[in-house]
Amino acid sequence: MNHQLLHIFRNSPLGRETLLQSIYFSKQVKVTPVVYIPKFTKFLMYFENDVVQIDLDDSYLMSQDTALEHATELLEQAGVEPRFFDPKHYTASTLPDIHTNFDYMSCPRSISDLSSKIGLGYIGPRVRRIVKSAQFPVLITSPVYKKWESIAVFFGGSVNAFNALKLGFRICRISGMLLDVFTLVENKSQESYEKLITDEDLEKEMSRYVNKWHFLKNRTLGENLYDVPHNALVVLGAYGHHLLKTFVFGSKMEKIQSTISNNLLIVGPNYTAVI
Amino acid sequence: MRIFQSWRYPANWTIFRLDDRLLLILVAIIVGSCSGLASVVLNRLLMVMFNWFHDLRHYWWIFVLPAIGAALSSLFLEKVVKEGAGHGVPEVIYSVSRYGGLLRFRSSFSRLISSALTIGSGGSAGPEAPVVISGAAIGSNIAKYFSLNDRQRITLVGCGAAGAISSIFNAPIAGMVFAIEVIIGEWKSVNIVPIAIASVAGTEISRILQGNQIPFSHRLFNISHMDILACVGLAVLTAAASILLTRLLRFMDKISKKLPAPLWIRAAIGGCAVGLIGLFLPEVLGKGYHEVQTMIEGAFSQGLAIVGLVTIAKIVATALTLGWGGSGGIFAPCLVIGCLAGLTYHHCLALLWPSVSWVNEGCFALLGMAGLISGMLQAPLTGIFLIVEITGGYEVILPLIIVSAISTTLCHYIEPAAYYMKELVEYGHLLRPGTDARVLSDLNVSELIEKDCIAVTQNMLLRDFISIVKKSHRNYFPVEDEETGHFMGIIHLDDIRQYLFNPVMYDTVFLGQIMNTRVEVVDPDDDLADVIRKMDANRLFSMPVVINNRFIGLISKGNLLDQYRRELMVQTSQSV
Repeated sequence: MNHQLLHIFRNSPLGRETLLQSIYFSKQVKVTPVVYIPKFTKFLMYFENDVVQIDLDDSYLMSQDTALEHATELLEQAGVEPRFFDPKHYTASTLPDIHTNFDYMSCPRSISDLSSKIGLGYIGPRVRRIVKSAQFPVLITSPVYKKWESIAVFFGGSVNAFNALKLGFRICRISGMLLDVFTLVENKSQESYEKLITDEDLEKEMSRYVNKWHFLKNRTLGENLYDVPHNALVVLGAYGHHLLKTFVFGSKMEKIQSTISNNLLIVGPNYTAVI
Repeated sequence: MRIFQSWRYPANWTIFRLDDRLLLILVAIIVGSCSGLASVVLNRLLMVMFNWFHDLRHYWWIFVLPAIGAALSSLFLEKVVKEGAGHGVPEVIYSVSRYGGLLRFRSSFSRLISSALTIGSGGSAGPEAPVVISGAAIGSNIAKYFSLNDRQRITLVGCGAAGAISSIFNAPIAGMVFAIEVIIGEWKSVNIVPIAIASVAGTEISRILQGNQIPFSHRLFNISHMDILACVGLAVLTAAASILLTRLLRFMDKISKKLPAPLWIRAAIGGCAVGLIGLFLPEVLGKGYHEVQTMIEGAFSQGLAIVGLVTIAKIVATALTLGWGGSGGIFAPCLVIGCLAGLTYHHCLALLWPSVSWVNEGCFALLGMAGLISGMLQAPLTGIFLIVEITGGYEVILPLIIVSAISTTLCHYIEPAAYYMKELVEYGHLLRPGTDARVLSDLNVSELIEKDCIAVTQNMLLRDFISIVKKSHRNYFPVEDEETGHFMGIIHLDDIRQYLFNPVMYDTVFLGQIMNTRVEVVDPDDDLADVIRKMDANRLFSMPVVINNRFIGLISKGNLLDQYRRELMVQTSQSV
């Protein structure tokens, strides 16, 4: 249990849902949740080649006197030893630095805008920057606490998709949950996706961990996504394509997150998965 | 399509496969030009604001103008761009020390606007520090765009700072020296060449857009031996003024933080107080370059008492502006206070020894500037080159060196850290390359953990343990609880040697009886400096790393020394 998940605690009903989700994820994946209770509305995360300032909305500072008590209570109820993050370094007196040596980070869909924007179809710009820069996967929680009982990996053949697939294997191995792989068949044939797996030498893992490989052939993405179990943790890669393709055709990650309400585990371009 | 792809990933450009130093020089030109442009923009903004408000100066209510400016500046930083207040140079040094020069993109413009509001409305502050952080942020973000490594990024941060200072003062050498002496703190050719190029680029941009003028021109000074001797006294006076200003700035900052009010209200209070002082002594308002020019020309006609009073007033006004939340730098106030201190000193000399033919008062004003800058920044070279360049007065180089050197030494003796670095030193954040603190900060406990230890349980017999010892090449054995796996203690072979060579004990002693339970443990999040301190205090060579009562591995001095050496070699190598 020396892997850690960073959770930014919001002392509100919504924050409770998010923390419950993080605790559930941590228990399944056997990582230690490390909770940061913000004392200021902003903090900095220094990544390898980027610095991201997170501007939290005011609800994160609500009832500061009870925040620690509430977070401890939720963690203890779940049988998890409370572990809190206390920033050691400050870029400015009101600007703490949060280190980035975590294995996972949990975010609501938006952490810097009003809670009204947490609905589907909106991922805040800071969350995007974190996903793009982080060397860890980002858990984007569903708006309400929802236990996931299987794993669904979206695999499209990109580098990030391979990382997502390997992460899926890893979570499957640790949690013992069923793993389904979903591939949106576009211009390629089913065989070409299978060949990609063979080329990457992942056939053995596919047969060991994968329950079923779904090839989705419906016309619209919405129809295809109905096949994804509502209680699955969806693992997918993001920002794996170059800007122009994303600009013209849109990002798969954006489309998926705006359609399904599952918990999402998003793998950015700087994450390297180990099974 | 291919063109767009390559545009998206500049790190893949063919040019990046050329020589790294050449690449850095090319990017330094871009950074120097951009930061030079940022300086020109701020200069123009200040000129526009000065012209807007100049006609209003005779109204009695004008004292609220600095308050409005400071409040708007603070609101802009806090609410719009959401950055902390202050002039930003410590933030640049902090980022260079700890995070390879990573700076937020918003810093490349935020301080330009906020300081324009503070200084343009009459606040006693300078535009130099804001342009330094802007230039540095431009350098950092250009490095990020080109996916450059930490060392290259730090050099470009220095390039940005150098380009900005060079541009705003039309002083390329001062810009270069400032960047290396204050921002980077490392004199190496790999830094010096790109920074020098950036300084030239920044200066050229300024000259093209604003003309090639020496900011504070003066007539020739005829300096005698007596004047050079008198410089010692001036150095003492400027050192005293530097210390007073440093302490007053921190004092104002402390008392303003005790006020239970939002930052913008505090900034407005400070601004209002400055405005009130400005009603009676208008010399304290704004950046004060006009007053500097007058004093260097020897045309500042006030007597000793008034000059002394203005000196004190300017120090107080600067502390009120910056200490209470206004945005700006201390360079310009230092120049004004230095001039005033020089003038005061000259008047004193003339009063005490009227028969001596002292050099023109403008010379002492000029030397006073060097004394203040050197004292505040504790960067004598910056002080010397800046004053030589902005006054074009190479003939004063000897007294200039004396004043700068003595002022820096005295200030360092009384205030060991320069104004920009005071907080960084207090919190242990000033990590210059190649120093022990910097090497340790670049390592962490997690990467030093050795996991090849064999765990044993407290109910294990000594005989079984001996068979494990035969297989292991380590002297330390963590003891874990059989059921929970919790860390119970540690066995160090040196501590149990008496049992190991006594076969009678083999079947009678359990490990739980001989293990050491009073063990100092390490958390992976602990600072390595603290870990080493613990090791030294307890004379330990290894310590167990424990998370949630579970043993993770050992951290040993031997492994630490290996990594330390490797890191030191990386940090002190000449490669980019």
